Amino acid sequence: MIATKLGISKSDSKLTMAFIYVAFISLFIGGLMGLLQTLVRSGSLSLPWGITYYQVLTVHGVILGLVLTTFFIIGFQYALMAKTVGISKKQRLYAWLSFIVMLIGTVMAAVMVLLGKASVLYTFYAPLQAHPIFYFGLALVIIGSWIACFVNFRQLYVWKKTHKDEKSPLLAFMVVINMVLWFIATLGVAAAVIVQFIPWSLGYAETINVLVSRTLFWYFGHPLVYFWLLPAYMAWYAIIPKIIGGKIFSDSLARLSFVLFLLFSIPVGFHHQLTEPGIDPTWKFIQVVLTFMVIIPSLMTAFSMFAMFEITGRRKGFRGLFGWFKHLPWKDVRFFAPMVGMLAFIPAGTGGIINASHQLNNVIHNTMWVTGHFHLTVATTVLLTFFGISYWLIPHLTGRKLTKKINNLGLIQTVIWAVGMTIMSGSMHISGLLGAPRRSAFSEYGGTAQASDWIGYQIAQAVGGTILFIGILLMVYIFLQLTFFAPKGQEEFPIAEEEVNAQPTPLFLENWKLWIGITIGLILFAYTIPFIDIILHAPTGSEPFAWPIGNS
Amino acid sequence: MENAEKQKSEERVETPNLKGTLLSVLLLGVFIIVSWFGVFALFLSR
Ligand SMILES: [Cu+2]
Repeated sequence: MIATKLGISKSDSKLTMAFIYVAFISLFIGGLMGLLQTLVRSGSLSLPWGITYYQVLTVHGVILGLVLTTFFIIGFQYALMAKTVGISKKQRLYAWLSFIVMLIGTVMAAVMVLLGKASVLYTFYAPLQAHPIFYFGLALVIIGSWIACFVNFRQLYVWKKTHKDEKSPLLAFMVVINMVLWFIATLGVAAAVIVQFIPWSLGYAETINVLVSRTLFWYFGHPLVYFWLLPAYMAWYAIIPKIIGGKIFSDSLARLSFVLFLLFSIPVGFHHQLTEPGIDPTWKFIQVVLTFMVIIPSLMTAFSMFAMFEITGRRKGFRGLFGWFKHLPWKDVRFFAPMVGMLAFIPAGTGGIINASHQLNNVIHNTMWVTGHFHLTVATTVLLTFFGISYWLIPHLTGRKLTKKINNLGLIQTVIWAVGMTIMSGSMHISGLLGAPRRSAFSEYGGTAQASDWIGYQIAQAVGGTILFIGILLMVYIFLQLTFFAPKGQEEFPIAEEEVNAQPTPLFLENWKLWIGITIGLILFAYTIPFIDIILHAPTGSEPFAWPIGNS
Repeated sequence: MENAEKQKSEERVETPNLKGTLLSVLLLGVFIIVSWFGVFALFLSR
């Protein structure tokens, strides 16, 4: 049997770059929409040419939350797999097929949103109704990503066959965990889109069961955030140590935390539906408990990051309680950008615990706090880590160098991002605590006193949003430099190694049947009874609302 | 004999100094708890 050659070939580069192009184009468009939103909400801008706030909001959410993330992640994962377990010609062909299907779906959905035929926000809650093509587009994006799942599964399977008694490479293991998570989670949203939304939007079904559609959405919506986060963790666990001159803290701990994320990030969607009538409070409670289980791998990650930094620093001879922290390579953007992302995860994760606590959720539900929260998680922690990856991955793929000048621009970009986001997300959090609603265009709410408290924070959001947009312009410039203009050369693909005397990783961590079995068991436990309940006691379904937002 | 010595020296290398990590995770824990009770107080007061 001929083993596939490891490493990134020219054709692998093309494949991953195709995904990254889409991601950066999305960053630019989505960022521009974000800027417009903050300006509208500050009361200082009204949109021209009949463009509505909700149209812009939908573009922003869909293109950044769904398109940028999914394309970057799948492209990055193909590169990781090619590097660690290899990719065959046939697999690469299927990988291209996944790209094309996802791209067609994205274009279909995007055109409908841009035409104002699908102003349903990125959650596309029923009974808001979009044009059927929007839903067909979403379905294609999901189907395309499933092809990517099976290519990645196949890659590890083939590698395993020729490496019988070896543990799989850490990064390949992590990619497969993430894709198992994605596949199981997207089954829910695919069911909602194909069984409920498409027939309903075509007029074959007159009404839709709103609660079922929202429950299926959040069955997908929470693991979605882990699908974003896990690739960032891949970089933190297995790439950052190499960049800072250290070793992987613990291969077993890293694998165990990924397994725990797989187990506990799906049967928890109710924590997004705590205020929803029609779901038995007992089952809400059970899912909140399961949600809190996710804190365990999160804190394991925090601990092992600190430990990895400290061990590396002390080995280099830096003493004192925090000498290792002071002497981290702060001037290397491949480290600095993800590190700022990690630091942002301290308030971001804390906010997540608050959101998932039922009583506290009542304080912040549907307020700007939530918007502030996910701009820390996905738009700072995840995004800055993706930028951190881009600084070495793009030149590695394009055969160029990350020059000192681009490195320094990257440092500035990271600082701009941190400052802009502190202002924007900070004021979102505060105004949320003061009751400001999210997902709403500018309004004085009939001149009530409470609403006048919010306006100062909305102006602060516009200031932060403007700074962030400058950060996006700079990042797009850096992307263009790394892709087309930086001097030719070789950039390292950093993959960290284990300590020489590391304990062997226990084999049960790679028992896929066991982990997938427990995952399915937990999902069935957490969802079967409440779901039957929801269907049996359903009120009459809802007719579509295509106006004032939706499809008008 | 030789083996035992080898093991011993390995053990000595094995215990890294993680005082800074301990303090960092404790601070992280305090931050989470203080924030949580802050919003909880807000819940009780409303
Ligand atoms: Cu969630």
